[in-house]
Amino acid sequence: MKLLTKTSLNYLSVTLFVFMFGTIAFYYLLRHQVNQNINIELEKRKNSIVNQLLSAHESIAAPTNQNEKILITPLNELSYPQLNFYDTIIYDQINKKYIPFRQLGFITKFNNDSFYVQIYKSLEETDNLIIRIFLIMTVLVILIIIALLITIRHTSLMAWKVFYDTINKINNYDINSHNEFSLKQSEVKEFDDLNRNLIAMTDRIKKDYSNMKEYTENASHEMQTPLAIISSKLELLLQSQKLDEKQMKAITDAYDASNRLSKLNKTLLLLAKIENRQFPESKSIMPTSLIESQLENLEDLIESKGIQIIKQFDENLILQMNPYLAEIMLANLIKNAIRHNIKDGYLIIKIIKDSICISNSGNELKIKKELLFERFHKQSSSPESLGLGLAIVQKICEVYDFKIDYYYENNLHNFSIYLNKSN
Amino acid sequence: MKILIIEDEKALTDSIVEYLHEEGHVCEAVYNFNDAVEKIQLYEYDCIVVDINLPDGSGLDIIKLIKKNSKSLGIIIISARNSLENRIEGLEIGADNYLTKPFHLAELNAHLKSINRRINFNGNEQIIINEIKLLPNDHTVFINDKELKLTRKEFELLVFFISNKNKVITKSGLAEHLWGDYMDTADSFDFIYTHIKNLRSKLLKEGCADYIKTVYGVGYKFDIS
Repeated sequence: MKLLTKTSLNYLSVTLFVFMFGTIAFYYLLRHQVNQNINIELEKRKNSIVNQLLSAHESIAAPTNQNEKILITPLNELSYPQLNFYDTIIYDQINKKYIPFRQLGFITKFNNDSFYVQIYKSLEETDNLIIRIFLIMTVLVILIIIALLITIRHTSLMAWKVFYDTINKINNYDINSHNEFSLKQSEVKEFDDLNRNLIAMTDRIKKDYSNMKEYTENASHEMQTPLAIISSKLELLLQSQKLDEKQMKAITDAYDASNRLSKLNKTLLLLAKIENRQFPESKSIMPTSLIESQLENLEDLIESKGIQIIKQFDENLILQMNPYLAEIMLANLIKNAIRHNIKDGYLIIKIIKDSICISNSGNELKIKKELLFERFHKQSSSPESLGLGLAIVQKICEVYDFKIDYYYENNLHNFSIYLNKSN
Repeated sequence: MKILIIEDEKALTDSIVEYLHEEGHVCEAVYNFNDAVEKIQLYEYDCIVVDINLPDGSGLDIIKLIKKNSKSLGIIIISARNSLENRIEGLEIGADNYLTKPFHLAELNAHLKSINRRINFNGNEQIIINEIKLLPNDHTVFINDKELKLTRKEFELLVFFISNKNKVITKSGLAEHLWGDYMDTADSFDFIYTHIKNLRSKLLKEGCADYIKTVYGVGYKFDIS
């Protein structure tokens, strides 16, 4: 739920709640006030009637006005006269309807006789007035609520626009891009603060990132140079005429080890660079031509093992990725499929729609399938194999959101790369 | 050939100088940018071997300077940076080769020989070693003036051997020369053995002396002494 919808809903429910109870309270307050006024009026009339009765000796003409209606009854006829104020309904002969009245009953003495006097005040007009006031108030309040709601939504939308713009920009943020990360100015202080802090944060991250990149490069440089010295010195030593076989062997072992160390260093740096997304360049690549050139490079290896290659290419498949990474990804899979192949085995390369599947014949794995893509996990104990090839493939797939899958079926190891993760 | 080596690591420079010196090259070494610029402006060289990261400047700037003065000399970059961009940048501004550290001295030497042929013989020269005549550009070999058919890899092997004659060449050095990064070292050793066996038997069959010596556990040596 959007924040605006949520606040609007909250606002609406609270105002409706307050409005409901408010109107009920308002109605009764109004009613109470009106009754009080009428009471005062009736009281005044009562006093004037009592005074009139005390001063006048002739009978008082009964008023015809309903409003001024007075009912005087001798007290002895009534056993329980209703005293004080109360509401009643009287049938109006002229208008032929019941009309609400406020009535005041009191007892007064006239010529030593006690009379029970009832005076009335019609509530019809005041009731109408109350209803009208009540309706006008309700309409007014509803109008105010609607106007407020619209204003709040509108101003919020305007204010949040900057926020949504910021969210959108963060979503599309690419640390590798050299574009300036700029955010819209907002009139709202909080959003301005947010944007300012975000920019400061991205600047800091970018700086750290470039520092790390520099470190990666430097680490490579710093390590490769001493390695270059070691291997050059050993290569020179090998040229010496005075060495016996044993010494030659020792030097060669050290030489090979330094070469291996340098390869390992290069490969780990490559992995780090892939993880750091340091290959932003992207091109359209035909996997078929890449695969063909890899097979050509590995011709010797394929021939020596007598591997039969079965190709099934859908020429329409185009990869959108860094050409160097595409080459590494395919080369590693093909190399892997050849190295772990059996003599006179098969290498099947299928490119179908949006997947690349490389299968090779071979015996079932001794290690768990899950460990296959782990670094330094290798089945063969060959010291020359670094055990990083598939880890690199997986990292590359992660970068491009490809899915890589492995399964073993009919004596075939199958590695499939799905370009669309959803498949 | 007169070669200037620009590399700040003295130990590495010494190795290169020693190896190339034995090959009959005249080598000079400088360890920083300023000395390198001074040397290039004062003297003539056939080739420079330059490191990109120098303490007081970039090797790339030295190459640019050379290209600006339109000196036609061979340029080999040796650098620890092995990213594709660095490589492309180096080659684009006019370097002949880009070697990533650590490299095999035999590899550097082979590149220098190839540059030497290009500069001093316009690439039309022939390499003659006793009964072997090699035309690197035509990819042809003659033994006692009779053409010998070699596969591409065998030919590359022979050129590499002759470039580094009388030197012990390690198997990994050979493997990297023939396959670069494409093949893992472990896989390639067997093929080196096969290719060398084939090359040797072809040479012997044409009446060539047995120059290719196996150095047990280390590699091979093209021994013409």
